[in-house]
Amino acid sequence: MGIIRTTVILGCLAFATACAPARVIKPLEKGEKQIGANLGGAMINYGGAPIPLPLTSINYLQGLDTGLTLSAALHTTDILFGVMHAEAGLGIKAYQTKSEKFGVTISPSMNLMYDIWEQNFSAYPQLDALCYWQYAEKPNLFYGGLGSWVELNKVKAHNEVQTNELLPYIMVGHQFNRPKWTFTTEAKYLGFQHDNRDLVPDYIGPSHYGALGLYFGISRRLIK
Amino acid sequence: MRTLMTMIAVLMLSSCIRLDSLMFSPDTSIETYQLDAFEGRQEIDLPEAYALPDSLIEVFTLESDLEGDKAEIYAVYVGNQNLISTDTVILYLHGNAGHLDFYWNRIKLLANTGAKNRFGVLAIDYRGYGLSGGTPSEDGLYADTDAAMKWLKEKGLTSDRLVIYGFSMGSAPATELTANPRTLQPSKLMLEAPFASDEVMLQDASGLSLPGSYISNLEINNADEIAKVDEPFFWIHGVDDDYLSIETHGEVVFKNYQGIYSEAHRVEGANHGDVPFIMGFEAYIDAVTQFVER
Repeated sequence: MGIIRTTVILGCLAFATACAPARVIKPLEKGEKQIGANLGGAMINYGGAPIPLPLTSINYLQGLDTGLTLSAALHTTDILFGVMHAEAGLGIKAYQTKSEKFGVTISPSMNLMYDIWEQNFSAYPQLDALCYWQYAEKPNLFYGGLGSWVELNKVKAHNEVQTNELLPYIMVGHQFNRPKWTFTTEAKYLGFQHDNRDLVPDYIGPSHYGALGLYFGISRRLIK
Repeated sequence: MRTLMTMIAVLMLSSCIRLDSLMFSPDTSIETYQLDAFEGRQEIDLPEAYALPDSLIEVFTLESDLEGDKAEIYAVYVGNQNLISTDTVILYLHGNAGHLDFYWNRIKLLANTGAKNRFGVLAIDYRGYGLSGGTPSEDGLYADTDAAMKWLKEKGLTSDRLVIYGFSMGSAPATELTANPRTLQPSKLMLEAPFASDEVMLQDASGLSLPGSYISNLEINNADEIAKVDEPFFWIHGVDDDYLSIETHGEVVFKNYQGIYSEAHRVEGANHGDVPFIMGFEAYIDAVTQFVER
């Protein structure tokens, strides 16, 4: 059953939780716009080697006001499966020091999915909370936080009770900011409350719980 | 924006990533079926005590017709074919990997049910597996299984003496053709490590209630089809199955069965492919025998 195990993984994980890095880390300035692309996903054993799933998405950020950023994203890997997976949310400045070097950002968002095959629709709210620390004069920063997808359905396949109400994760990352470009690296620990041993994907997680994820992002500022 | 929307539309309309074909992992590298001489990996090793006389083993071909898409598929019959018209036959439907040689020890084990060669056992390689022609598909599983039933019927088998046994992926044609019979109506259904549906696979992996249509167009749905089965039902599953979880797959299938008789065998310490070994060959044969003879 080894072959099917590795192939099914690719499909399943395209829709696994938190298949992208945090969208808004430090809210943009009012009027600032940014487009970006992300690559990465949960870590699995594939042919004996640990790899992050190569899931992709593109995103757009726009500073609506001071401390308020709009985010929108499309999960491009899902599109290849015939599933439109869009994501829209806000990045809200919850706290920031006067020096603006340390702050807390809260990001509520919504994931919407729709497939062209059977016209099934899914909606998943998501909430991230993270703090960032700008550690140098140049606006490079470290960040860390936690978040969760929220399962709205009370039942799953075959009318079984859905016991996963939340699918939480913790994240740490780094942003390397240049005048026009931003490079992001992020690690996540997904679904850490779930035993991963009886699942088709060979997730890599500490003590067989959850899955570690690795993500890379690149974005470019358009207008300020 | 118009360009972006056009790109998205083109990507969606040209979507080609579906996992339907990936459900099948056939091995077509063989030039002949070797059965006892097969030296490749098998999921269970069988002691010599379960050896069967060569005179009662025949490999042959059947024609399977999938709505005009005809394929020559291979089959192996273990037992005295002259008794098909009077005795019980077990139709064994294998899992998604390899070919018949890979499952030969399992087939031999079933041929020891009751006693050596007490019941005839027929097994097939689905289209696209081993030396069978064609390409694997969900509908092909059903057509090929029905072709096996047609062969049995031509040999004189009647529905009341047909027991169907599906392992893993083989649980799909076993359940489908018991719930929605074609040539013959199996009188008993046996499932080992069945899967509920591809939707359960996706939901287990993602942790979310995502529809199966997000990854495949397969319509295999043992969890729902089993509800249509009235015939006696035997379910056996490894408690430590790390491929098809007993909890989310096997238990759901078993719970949804509403027919006249069912029995469950949850085998402690067994994984997906080693249930007979962990259970103990004699205990496994006893359980199968009691069900077939009841």
